[in-house]
Amino acid sequence: MNGRIEYWVKIPIGPIHPALEEPEKFIITLDGERIINVDVKLGYNLRGLEWIAMRRNWIQVLYLAERICGICSFSHNHTYARAVEEMAGIEVPERAEYIRVVVGELERIHSHLLNLGVVAHTIGYDTVLHLSWLAREKVMDILEDIGGNRVNYAGNMIGGVRRDITEKHKRAILDMIYYYRQEIMPKIEEIFLYDPTVEARLRDSGVIPKRIAIEYSAQGPTARGSGIKKDVRYNEKLGVYPDLGVKPVTPKEFTGVIKGDVFDRMVVRVGELWQSMEIIERALDQMPEGKIKAFPKDNMIIFKLKKAEGEGIGRYEAPRGEVIHYVRAEPGRDGPAKWKMREPTFPNLFAVARALVGEQLADVPVAIASIDPCLSCTDRVAVIDAETGKKRILTEVDLLKESIKKTKEINPNIKAKPEKIGIGRCVL
Amino acid sequence: MTPEEFAERIKTKFEDAEVKITENKLPHPRKRIWIEVTREKFKDVVKFLKEIDPTAQFSIIIAEDRGDRLTAKYHWEMFWEQGESLSVVIGTACPKDDPVLPTITDIFPSSLPYEREVQEFLGIKYEGIPDPRRLFLPDDFPEGIYPLRLDETGIKPEMVKNAGHPYRRESK
Repeated sequence: MNGRIEYWVKIPIGPIHPALEEPEKFIITLDGERIINVDVKLGYNLRGLEWIAMRRNWIQVLYLAERICGICSFSHNHTYARAVEEMAGIEVPERAEYIRVVVGELERIHSHLLNLGVVAHTIGYDTVLHLSWLAREKVMDILEDIGGNRVNYAGNMIGGVRRDITEKHKRAILDMIYYYRQEIMPKIEEIFLYDPTVEARLRDSGVIPKRIAIEYSAQGPTARGSGIKKDVRYNEKLGVYPDLGVKPVTPKEFTGVIKGDVFDRMVVRVGELWQSMEIIERALDQMPEGKIKAFPKDNMIIFKLKKAEGEGIGRYEAPRGEVIHYVRAEPGRDGPAKWKMREPTFPNLFAVARALVGEQLADVPVAIASIDPCLSCTDRVAVIDAETGKKRILTEVDLLKESIKKTKEINPNIKAKPEKIGIGRCVL
Repeated sequence: MTPEEFAERIKTKFEDAEVKITENKLPHPRKRIWIEVTREKFKDVVKFLKEIDPTAQFSIIIAEDRGDRLTAKYHWEMFWEQGESLSVVIGTACPKDDPVLPTITDIFPSSLPYEREVQEFLGIKYEGIPDPRRLFLPDDFPEGIYPLRLDETGIKPEMVKNAGHPYRRESK
């Protein structure tokens, strides 16, 4: 006996911890306050969509794809529609492409505003949460106006879109952009770019270095926050996006430095809010007149796709990163022979799990929140003491308490209470 | 590097690889490179990709049950720094009675969760995978059942419960 005892504590977070759209389990090994290993277990929300899709036809899968995620509902059926169009060689009318751009960017705005609120909540800035979600209501109203629903607007059809954007919608969207530019964005920039407490709390926490981000194929704002100039809309020359001048947003244009921490990821999101508004304005300007569907009737699509053969890939930049769908058709079958998809949180999750090594436990909520997850009201952490085997349950409130305590060390004026509010993609 | 140049380089290095380039009908047409190789050559091709572009981004494994063989297609995004990137799909296959593919986690570490996923859903064994545990399926899921297989090792009808519409009356 050399007298030295290894004192490691294993902390499973989850399984009912939908940190990112689906419940999952992080098993965190701690040495004191320092994290030395993070293991991820998924599948608590496995619905077997691929298996279900084997029994659905081409159009039914479109709506199944939409239900993969509530927030990215447009992204998923957009990407699926693109994959099918590539497979069958369907040409989409130009007006439909522009409508896809407008709805897609509106979705990006609401997803990013949601995430800004969530990250503010995890560090104890609850006022910011309520105000940014209040601001988000405006874009949700527009989406409801266009698609008929706050989420799952079912806007896409294979070979076009289902709903047109009229003059009335156009005016409402421009009003919304004016409201955001004048009232919301200055406040958001004040908080996420210039507030000293936020900067002190988010800087240098959850750092994903550029090398790790490349190695683990991080996507979306998580990758761009680490200085990777990658954006599917730009790299893929997607649809009409090249005509609208889309470029990857990196924190360098705003703060001049790239560190790859939580702060940088939030800066990217703020930058993309500005970018999305510009893209919407340009798209509304350039939108040509014309039809919005390649096929006037939906049963024509099934008829055409029944004869199709081949495979296609669709890629799209969802608010959280690259979504990729693959379809393969067999002649004589009215549904896809194979449909496979991957959402951006999958690689991001493993990137952030790798990046958490060496951080503190109090940074776990904010680092997980920064890749755009959802903290559910039900998440809890069981702490098992390695030596005594005693079990202590940490609820979400306890975790938040730890996080707020760390913020208070920086700024003692924070008066946030760690209360359950049930942030989550289930509460929309 | 354009898709044609890339295809040329692959063809000169690996003579028996099938390479084709497809293009879709978007306003800005987009090319994809589809490569088919045998499983013996597969790892060499992947190594060659890493040599050409050390920053290649691994995206997805599409594994499928195609009757007597299991196929796996891997997608990479390459040269994303140059603006328009290259979308490369490399496919390989293994027979069903010997479902073994080489792992590529030593070349692209991000492929580990995808390989674990394919391993449990289609039963392709990855040779040399550092972490062969299950990722999605619960620990009490029966051994030897691979949910996405279309043969007798797939999901049997009697395993399916509560499928369909919740209020639909069962047909007798």
